[in-house]
Amino acid sequence: MPAIEVDNLCKSFVTKHKPAGFLASLRALARPKTFTIEAVRNLTFEMEAGELLGFIGPNGAGKSTTIKILTGILFPSSGQAKVLGFVPWAERRQLAYHIGTVFGQRPQLWYHLPAMDTFALFGKIYEMDDRTTRQRISFLAEAFEINDLLETPVRKLSLGQRMRCEVAASLLHKPKLLLLDEPTLGLDVVAKQHIRDTIRRMNQLEGVGVLLTSHDAGDLEALCKRVIVINHGQIVYQDKVSALKRSFLTSKLVEVRYAEQIPVDFHIPGTETIKVAKERYGVKLRFDTRSTGVETVMAQLSAAGTLVDITVSDPPLEEVIRLIYTQGAGKDSEPSTT
Amino acid sequence: MFKEIKFLIFLWKTNIQAAMEYRVAFISQMIGMMLNNGVYFIFWIIFFSRFKNLNGWQLSDMFLLFGVGASAFGLVAFLFGNYDSLSEIIAKGRLDYYLSLPRPVLLHAIASRTIASGLGDFTYGLLSYLASGLFTWDGLGRFFFGTFLAGCAFLAFMTIVHSLSFWVGNASGFAGMASNAMVTFALYPVSLFEGSAKFILFTLVPAAFMGAVPAAFVHHFSWTLLAEIFLADFILLGLALLIFRAGLRRYESGSAIPTEV
Amino acid sequence: MTMRNLSKYWAMLKMQLVNSLAYPSELVWRSLAIVIFLWIFAQLWRVTFATAGTTTIGGLSLHDTLWYLMLAETIELSRPRLSHSIAETVRDGSIAYLLNKPYDFLLYQMSTNLGESLFRMTLNTLFGGATVWLLVGPPPEARGWALTAIAVLGAWSINFCIGALIGLTAFLVEDVTPFEWIYQKMIFILGGMLIPLDFYPHWLQTISRALPFSYAMYGPARLFVTPDLTRFAGLLAGQVFWILILAGALVLVYQRGARRLAINGG
Repeated sequence: MPAIEVDNLCKSFVTKHKPAGFLASLRALARPKTFTIEAVRNLTFEMEAGELLGFIGPNGAGKSTTIKILTGILFPSSGQAKVLGFVPWAERRQLAYHIGTVFGQRPQLWYHLPAMDTFALFGKIYEMDDRTTRQRISFLAEAFEINDLLETPVRKLSLGQRMRCEVAASLLHKPKLLLLDEPTLGLDVVAKQHIRDTIRRMNQLEGVGVLLTSHDAGDLEALCKRVIVINHGQIVYQDKVSALKRSFLTSKLVEVRYAEQIPVDFHIPGTETIKVAKERYGVKLRFDTRSTGVETVMAQLSAAGTLVDITVSDPPLEEVIRLIYTQGAGKDSEPSTT
Repeated sequence: MFKEIKFLIFLWKTNIQAAMEYRVAFISQMIGMMLNNGVYFIFWIIFFSRFKNLNGWQLSDMFLLFGVGASAFGLVAFLFGNYDSLSEIIAKGRLDYYLSLPRPVLLHAIASRTIASGLGDFTYGLLSYLASGLFTWDGLGRFFFGTFLAGCAFLAFMTIVHSLSFWVGNASGFAGMASNAMVTFALYPVSLFEGSAKFILFTLVPAAFMGAVPAAFVHHFSWTLLAEIFLADFILLGLALLIFRAGLRRYESGSAIPTEV
Repeated sequence: MTMRNLSKYWAMLKMQLVNSLAYPSELVWRSLAIVIFLWIFAQLWRVTFATAGTTTIGGLSLHDTLWYLMLAETIELSRPRLSHSIAETVRDGSIAYLLNKPYDFLLYQMSTNLGESLFRMTLNTLFGGATVWLLVGPPPEARGWALTAIAVLGAWSINFCIGALIGLTAFLVEDVTPFEWIYQKMIFILGGMLIPLDFYPHWLQTISRALPFSYAMYGPARLFVTPDLTRFAGLLAGQVFWILILAGALVLVYQRGARRLAINGG
């Protein structure tokens, strides 16, 4: 049974226009102007049990709204959804026992107490007996390497340490599904990597499914097998991460360094010069593989001078995704077969 | 029901642990509030030393009334410290946290904080009763019970008032005024008011059930008084739950607050 | 201080006034507080006067008492609430950076708080005045109003200095709230906010008159009810006396404390 089944989910909000200024707000009291936001439009997708799924999209795309609907915090305007067999908004409390959530902006750990105390409280919240709670805590402390942080008041922890504790707390009750909303926001590179690795490990060890929303393409690459790109409330693209890169990879980046300076009007036909290095000993360029052959570009580059170094790479995932946002729904989005 | 009480007790324990992280502030707030109330009460001592009797009401009655009112207030502030922050919790979308957990939302939300000075209010109220000259041992039992009932009325009223935030966005300004009214009225002798004013104190701003009526019950046992308070609490708590639940449905439909998409 | 300097503070004051208008509903609720208090006081004193069986107590009639209380409540509800914000600047150490310019910091506090207070005072006077008018009749003679206004400003200044001093106790203690509570209760009892001092036993009246609180509350309120120049002069003298002492203490404490912070590094 799939962990998540979403069928034609729609959600629109009616909000009041809140103008600034005294007179304007008086007028608004008398005659409120409302407008409708369609946050989610005909969303349909599935997530398998134990899967690692990423949800990526710009601000206002509908990610948070979707997560809220899936956790039962929000009713949809229309459509169906089932999470772990439960209808979230109708069976919110039963569902809550089986899912864990981490919202990057909304901490769950009590600020003035050591993380250990919040863990104990969560044990009570999820009606776990004391022994199970203790065992879980020691297991998670080991996995997340937070053993020596448990007794420190949370306010004294760094953001990275705090997030590790947060994610650990969300897994205390051995949920079948973990929903994360921007979990690596604000973390440094090392902390991000640590969290991603641990989540992946938990997925392997315990089979907990992970649904992750993020702005950070690095989260996707490190953590997710499949990704759904959402924009303006609709799915714009969904596929395996590997396939994503392949189908959108129509350009390559080349960075070269020469022994001598390149001329000011240096240009390889069919390519776009992105940057010329200081002192003009190198250049970075991009070209579309559909119109210009790799062979041609390489030949011309090596003919242009004495090559000292050359790097050929794919555009970063970020750029791929940005392309997807701008291209919109429907284009090139046949999902490859699993 | 029973498991919620167990959960509540653990939640209170966690709250006190959090408060104990700042021991000095805790003690100073508690003692400070007791002093605060004591100095305020000097007003009544001065008043009654000059004007012995107010429509039959005397200083000892004032001690008792103040005792019940302060203890009821303190009980709510100490055990349900978020009782006055509910508007903010609703307006800032912090209910999401409680909604994502398998425990009753309202209970969890209001009991997730403790206000240290509340313990000062509670203790002061008890001392005020003990000093009233109306103390009896069975009265003491009624004092604790009466305080509990008075606290229920107060908490229910605050919940109702704050729940308006589900519809108007942020009712903390209004709620602040309402709680001011409730507490102030509760601490003034009800015999001061007549007619329609008195009616308001039993209905719209049910301060009578936070002060006068429980105090009368502490003064002397009476089935009528007990029944009155029970009925009032039942209605108030019922209303509070109904209104909060209705508001929560509105919150979950997304039309309560401007949400991040 | 040049004109340009002063106009800066005037601008801050105006900005605070505009700020207060941002949330009209908040203002309405806040202003209803005075209606509630005065209404309760009216009930209390009506019964008291009836029980005592006299038309005047301590030289004041019910009408006078209520108008007294109206002004007292207005002063209290418009009192500058700055102890917490000042305590914050002390706690995060930002106050040390203003060490060289104590006047700037204190004047800044004054102008922003005065802006807010003026606004509150206007609303409270309107709502409070309307309530008492309905309950006991028209206000005391208008010729006293100008004198009262000056006295209220003096009262405000005294409260400002005390509030700021309490905020500065953050140099010594972690939590200034207990001091704020005590201060408010001092105003209640020794300032004559809940009862006109005239109703007090003699010994208590003497104590009250020796302290600044009565000049920040009783003085203006009593003047409002029976305005006359001698009373005004006496009050003004007392206010000036206390303002000088308190303001002096304020500047001293500020400089000492901020200097110590700067040296010890917060």
